[in-house]
Amino acid sequence: MTSEDKKKDDGMPDFSDVQSGASSTAPAASVYETYEVKAGDSLSKIAKRVYGKGASWQKIFDANKDILKDPNKIFPGQKLKIPK
Amino acid sequence: MMKKTLVGLALSPVLLLGTVGCKKDAPPPPPVATAAPPATTLPAPIAVSTVTLGNAIGADKKVAVPAETFTAKDTIYASVETTGVGQARLRALWSFVKGDKTAKVDETTIELNAVAPTVNEFHVSKPSGWPAGDYRVEIFLGDAATPAATKAFKVG
Repeated sequence: MTSEDKKKDDGMPDFSDVQSGASSTAPAASVYETYEVKAGDSLSKIAKRVYGKGASWQKIFDANKDILKDPNKIFPGQKLKIPK
Repeated sequence: MMKKTLVGLALSPVLLLGTVGCKKDAPPPPPVATAAPPATTLPAPIAVSTVTLGNAIGADKKVAVPAETFTAKDTIYASVETTGVGQARLRALWSFVKGDKTAKVDETTIELNAVAPTVNEFHVSKPSGWPAGDYRVEIFLGDAATPAATKAFKVG
């Protein structure tokens, strides 16, 4: 099945395997992806998808301590910073 | 005698001041020359000046060959140049557009502290191949609800 065949319920293509990045000539610039939590997600699942290692969940938790108090409590619709 | 002298000495400053104070015809003192206050120019806030798309960038993070059409296996770069100085947040929102529907492809943010004009690059790739169609990337500055720049492109 090609990616074009793999469509979501709304008839739009699936872009879940998109890889992204960014950089700047400005010194000490920080880069992060914005990820919207979906039902069934956990920080380790997101870390596995983004970094290839579920054990890297702490990196995501540390970047979102302003909105996350407990790493086991994330909710669909929350927008998390995923450091690059 | 001594008493008179003391009184005279005690009064003399008063008389002197009185004399000075009564000189109504004296010309006003010349204006003191003061240096003009230094011109204070506030640094210009960060603004997006140019957005260029391409499938490769150089070491300077600029696109050498601008493009608006890409192949399914391309990595797509958006090179974003800014002017001004200060702290800023640049956000690139990549979307697939089909009729009046849009699907979010990716959203990446750069937080920077610019001391001079900057060049920033955002890139996306899709190992399984980009679906053919219309896309766009919108560049937002800070918390602005409307993009500072928008570029449309095609795959296929």
